This record gives sequence, C-alpha cells and structure tokens, in this order.
Amino acid sequence: MRIKAHYAMVLNLDKCIGCHTCSIPCKNVWTNRQGVEYAWFNNVETKPGIGYPKRWEDQELHRGGWKLGYRGHLKLRAGGRGKKMAQIFHNPDLPAIDEYYEPWTYDYGKLIKSPAGKHQPSVRPKSQITGETMDVKWGPNWEDDLAGVNRTGALDINFRNLEHSIYLKFKQVFMFYLPRLCEHCLNPGCVASCPSGAMYKREEDGIVLVDQNRCRGWRYCVSGCPYKKVYYNWVNGRSEKCIFCYPRIEAGLPTLCAQTCVGRIRYVGVVLYDADGIRFAASQEDEEDLYPAHTAILLNPNDPAIQKEAEKQGIPPAWRKAAQRSPVYKLAKEWKIAFPLHPEYRTLPMVWYIPPLSPVSDALAPERSRVETLDKIDTIDRMRIPITYLANLLTAGDEKPVRMAMKKLMAVRAYMRGKQLDGVGDADAISAVNMTPETAEAMYELLAIARYENRFVIPTVERTGNTDLYRMQGSCGIPGTVPAHGPFPREEESSR
Amino acid sequence: MDLSNLFAFVIFPYITLVTFVVGHSYRYFTDELSWNSRSSQLLEPKSLKIGITLFHWGILATLGGHAVGLLIPQRIWDLFGIDGEAHTQIAVWSGLLVGIVAFIGILMLIHRRYTQPRIRITTTVGDWITLIGLAFVITTGLYNVIFGHYYILDTVAPWIRGIVTLTPDPTLMIPVPFSYKLHVLSAFFLLGFSPFTRLVHIWSVPLGYINRSYLLFRRRPAIEEQI
Ligand code: HEM
Ligand code: SF4
Ligand code: SF4
Repeated sequence: MRIKAHYAMVLNLDKCIGCHTCSIPCKNVWTNRQGVEYAWFNNVETKPGIGYPKRWEDQELHRGGWKLGYRGHLKLRAGGRGKKMAQIFHNPDLPAIDEYYEPWTYDYGKLIKSPAGKHQPSVRPKSQITGETMDVKWGPNWEDDLAGVNRTGALDINFRNLEHSIYLKFKQVFMFYLPRLCEHCLNPGCVASCPSGAMYKREEDGIVLVDQNRCRGWRYCVSGCPYKKVYYNWVNGRSEKCIFCYPRIEAGLPTLCAQTCVGRIRYVGVVLYDADGIRFAASQEDEEDLYPAHTAILLNPNDPAIQKEAEKQGIPPAWRKAAQRSPVYKLAKEWKIAFPLHPEYRTLPMVWYIPPLSPVSDALAPERSRVETLDKIDTIDRMRIPITYLANLLTAGDEKPVRMAMKKLMAVRAYMRGKQLDGVGDADAISAVNMTPETAEAMYELLAIARYENRFVIPTVERTGNTDLYRMQGSCGIPGTVPAHGPFPREEESSR
Repeated sequence: MDLSNLFAFVIFPYITLVTFVVGHSYRYFTDELSWNSRSSQLLEPKSLKIGITLFHWGILATLGGHAVGLLIPQRIWDLFGIDGEAHTQIAVWSGLLVGIVAFIGILMLIHRRYTQPRIRITTTVGDWITLIGLAFVITTGLYNVIFGHYYILDTVAPWIRGIVTLTPDPTLMIPVPFSYKLHVLSAFFLLGFSPFTRLVHIWSVPLGYINRSYLLFRRRPAIEEQI
C-alpha cells in the first residue's frame, strides 16, 4: 500500500444558486491576462446543456480521458504515444477557440465620447483577438438558466436512456447548476497526454500542475482532459489550468471559488488514498463499477492501522489529523452522498458532487415507474430532475447509489423537520435508510449550517529551511507580472 | 572576389553557427518560458491542418536527406556500390518529391498567415522572416534540383563537411553556380536567425514520451528553489 494525501473538494449541487460568484475571483486572480481571457478555471454551467466548450462531455467527439483497450488495459481514448507523435503537428482533437468562445470586449469610451444625438450611443462587442467587431456566439455560461437549450439540449449526453424531447418541453423542463473546475484526478488524462512531461501531480497533495518552464505547447493536455479543464494560452503558447489555488491552500486557506461561494456549497479537505490502487480503480471493466472502485481506494483515516502506516510513509501529523476531520471523506466515502463527475472517463476525479433534490412534479412519474398508484411511487421518481439523468452524470448510469444518496438527504430533512417542529425527529425516516440519529444530525450540521472551519479543513504545508515568508508575499503568480521575489525589497537591498 | 568568397563561405557560416549555439543556449537558460512552437491551432485549426502536416513531413525528410547525402563522404557511398552518378539521381528524385511537399506546405502556411485575420494579427516580424526565409530556402533548393544539374558531390558536399569538421575550404565553392550559393547562404542565415524565433521548438521533440510512464508525480520544490 502506498498512502498519499490529496486535497479534494465536494460541491453540494442542492445548494448552488448559479450566481457565478465563484468564477469571478478565480478569473480576476488567475486568468485576467491576454491569451487566457477565454479560459475559466471555474465556470458554472446550467444542466441540461452542452456546456463550455461545446459538448465537452461527449467523448465520442472530443476523445478525452481513457478507455479500456485490448485485454482490459487502460488506453488514452485519443490514441497512444506513437499516434500522438505522428500527429503532433496538428492535434486532431483540439477544440477551436470558438468552441469555448471568441473573447470580446467593448469600446466603453464610445459611451461617453459620442456626440449628443437623438439616440443613446451603443457599443458593439469587439474581438479581443483581432479587434474587429464580432457577434457573440458562445460563452462559459451560454446556456444560463436553460437559455437556448431547446436547440442544444438534445446533444446533452446525460439524456442517455431518456427521451430528451419530453424533458425539454416547457412544462416538464428541469434544471440545476453545475459548477466545474479541474478535478485534480488520480489518473489524470492531461498528465498522461503531455508529451514533454511538463504536467505532474504533486507528490504531497495531488494538485495537478503544468510546469510552465517545461511546457512546449504540444497542446495534447487540452484534448486529453475529458473535462476540458486545461486551456491553451494563445499568446505565449503554453497551457494553463486550475492550480487549486495552491498558494492559498499551502497557507491553510480554501481555494478562491470555495472561499467566496455564496451558497456555501463547497467543502475542501484532505483524503488519504492508496496510490497502488489507481490502476485497479480506473480499469474496472463495467463502467458502473468505477465509482465503487474509486471510493474503495480512499482510505479510512480513523483506522489506527491506516494512521500508523501513513505515519510510517511520512504523511505529516497535521495532515493525518486533517484527514480525520475531512468533510470530503465524510460526504464521499462515509455517507456516500457525494459522487465523482462522469466516472466513466476513468480519470478518477477528486472533485465530488452531491446530487440536487428537486420539486415533486407528478407529470412524468407514472412513466418513470412501473407502480400503478401515485402514492406508491418512490418520491425520487416524482422529482422534476430524472434520476437517470443524475446517474448518467455522476455514476456512469448506475441509479442505485444516487437514489440512496437522495433518500438520505430527504431523510435528514424529514428527521430535522420533525425535530424542530415537534421536538422529536422522525426516526422511521432515517432508519429506512439505515441511518442513526447521530449520523442524521452530523449530516445536517455539515450540509446545512457548517461553519467555515468545518467546511474547510486544510492543513498548512510543512515548511523546511529558513525562509522569509513575509518577504515572499506576492511573489507567487505568473512570471513577469511581479518581481520574482515579490513586491518587497529583500533585506540586503533595503539595507542599502 | 577571394575576400568576399572567404567571407561568404567561411566567416559568415561560422558567425551563424556561433549565433546558433550561443543564441539557443542563452535563450534556453534565460528564457525557457518562451521555448515553444507558439501553436496557432487553437485560433484557426481548419486552415492549418494540411499545410502544417505537409510542410513538416516534407521539411523533416528534406533535412534528413541533406544530412545523409551531404555529411557522409562519397567514398563511403562508393563502398556500398552507390557511385556519384547514382547518388545524384537518388538525391534529385527524392529531393524533388519531399521538396515539393514542403514547398506546398510552406505556401499554404504563408497563405494562412496572410489571409486569416486572427493569425495575421498574432504574427510577429520574426514569424514573417522565418516563413519567408524557409520558403526562400525551399524554393532555391527546388530550383536547383529541377534546373541546376550541377554536380555537387565534389564541391558543395566536401565544403560543408569542411565547415562541420572545422577545416573549411572556401575555394571549393568558387565554381559553384549562383543559385546554389544563394540556397546555401540563405539556409545559413536561417540557421543563425532561428534561436530568435519559434523554430527553437525543433530541439524539443518529445522523444522521451515514447517510453515514459503515463502518470507523473513530482515533489514540491523547496521554497528556496521556487524563487
Ligand atoms: C521534428 C520535430 C518537429 C515537431 C514535433 C514540430 C512541431 C510543430 C508544431 C506542434 C507546430 C505548431 C503548429 C500549430 O500552429 O499548431 C510547429 C510549427 C512550425 N514548425 Fe515545427 N516541428 C518540428 C520540426 C520543424 C522543423 C524541422 C521546421 C523547419 C525547419 C519547423 C518549422 C515550423 C514552423 C515554421 C512552424 C510555424 C508554422 C506556422 O504557424 O505558420 N518545424 N511545429
Ligand atoms: S480534470 Fe484536471 S487533472 Fe483531470 S484530466 Fe482534466 S486537467 Fe487533468
Ligand atoms: S458561488 Fe457557489 S452558489 Fe454561486 S455559482 Fe458558484 S458554486 Fe454555485
């Protein structure tokens, strides 16, 4: 067993209000430069929809991630090393920038400088690449609140085994938000696809990074990532991606998207996992086995044997402790209510999602269930968002775990409603899903009212050597934008 | 005449070679961040595909042909029963084929740079010099192959080997026709200019990928190394 620690995140889709607040600080801090103005390390999509870049989920089209090849061996869907080398001059799977969107701006000065006239002056979008006037055709949240989904929705692959035309009718339509960032996968397609070996996972915490010095711009990481979360900077010719805000994380602060989240839907914590199990977990033959195999290699931090082994393998004490308090471990493994996004891509993503509940709407319930009378139909099947859709999104189509998770979420609500209105919780509701009152209350605490320090359990990085952290302030970031050693003069300079 | 010949075929090639070596090392060690091909596929993939593919396969084969044909002395070919005449025939026909492929490719690339608005605006002066320089070298090369009919194995070939082995003999180049001289000199110019362009990507062919493990873990560098 090779124990490694990993930062991970859980997003509770039940609470996302689609405000895009998370995207803004991320954009302002990491991608407000020419070349990556079209890149959103965090973006929020409305589901159903085809997203950003267009149809990113459709791997028949984009060919990201892994598949099982000959005798069950993992293979990159886009082809192996030889094929990549032969096609290196023109990567056949790279999306064009228009699939994301052509970045644009406005000539705001025109609004105040135009001469007085009969009509208000107006500004037209101008391409940030060519400077020419352009029509805006797509964006990172183009289908916001289902805009245009009557046209694009049919291409959403999560409608597999569902009749999309029914669900795209005005009366039956459903929606929820899906905030997306790099998944910092255990078996990252991007790292495997990078010919120059510029991409890597950090040994200590699993953050996936592009070494900007080593990147040669072969752009296979962009196409190799099934979530399309590596972006090619068209100005400097190198790829960039979400860095899990490592300068903040190392100091014990949550990522910007998590810190600013208005709905407080995000949880950040540490999990311990068995790195020897990666291949096993990623190469399950049946796609529906991928999710259970993935959780199987997450190790129980409260098991004394695991703790001892982790200590032996050099996981620092603060990290082992943080793993025990980890909200991610509880939500994903202990309670099994958070799921990886599209496990069938076989990258073992480490950003987990709690499926959203939705209003009960009986319009389609009889079609979804074989039971005759309405009151016998499982409430989950009476909800607006079809369970099949969620299962296609989160468990490669296996409805059982998603159904169970949603039942647990509902049971917690029923229990707490009873407790707060009648003074006693609804014990039947929670025993029906094999939960104890303690678990139900712990779940309620974490999901509904958890404070900052419980949503974010982030150990600081162990620093060795003598470093002047104060003077290093502001020194992180993109080379050339701040002095290499930060804005403060070094001691030897200031004493001069 | 002699002096200009000496300059053109000894001094100038060495200036460009020194610029080539020093330029590449300097750029690699001081500005590795800019060391890439500055791919423009993201902005404009469709118009790129055929041109870039033809050009690269053509130019790589051409460079390979030059290396094999010019750097290996004729007496070694003779040992294998390939005399100068046969050598020339092989070189002319294969050179014609791959040269035309590279030529079509570079024309398509230049056309794309000129006509596609997104590409045109992101093109630097260095890019233009590179592309037009390459087109010039390829064109003069093709011209020589088709119209030259000059036997180079006793002149240009030993001269270039002299350059490589640091025993240059500029007199070998005196009888060579002007179009050949132009080809050689423009190629050396491009060699000297290449460290300042995107051509640096040639030296980073990721051969290591072929037998590397897919998954890479790396330790976080110590803080001292980060700055
Ligand atoms: C052997 C390894 C080589 C590899 C792997 C390679 C790869 C590439 C790649 C990936 C691009 C970017 C294409 C894009 O815009 O997406 C490129 C562009 C280019 N390469 Fe190469 N190349 C190689 C050799 C060469 C050689 C030998 C030359 C010329 C002597 C060359 C000249 C160029 C030029 C001029 C461009 C820019 C074309 C344009 O955008 O207009 N390359 N190369
Ligand atoms: S989600 Fe992140 S770690 Fe996973 S393949 Fe994509 S870029 Fe790599
Ligand atoms: S800030 Fe939070 S609630 Fe708002 S869109 Fe982002 S994840 Fe959803």
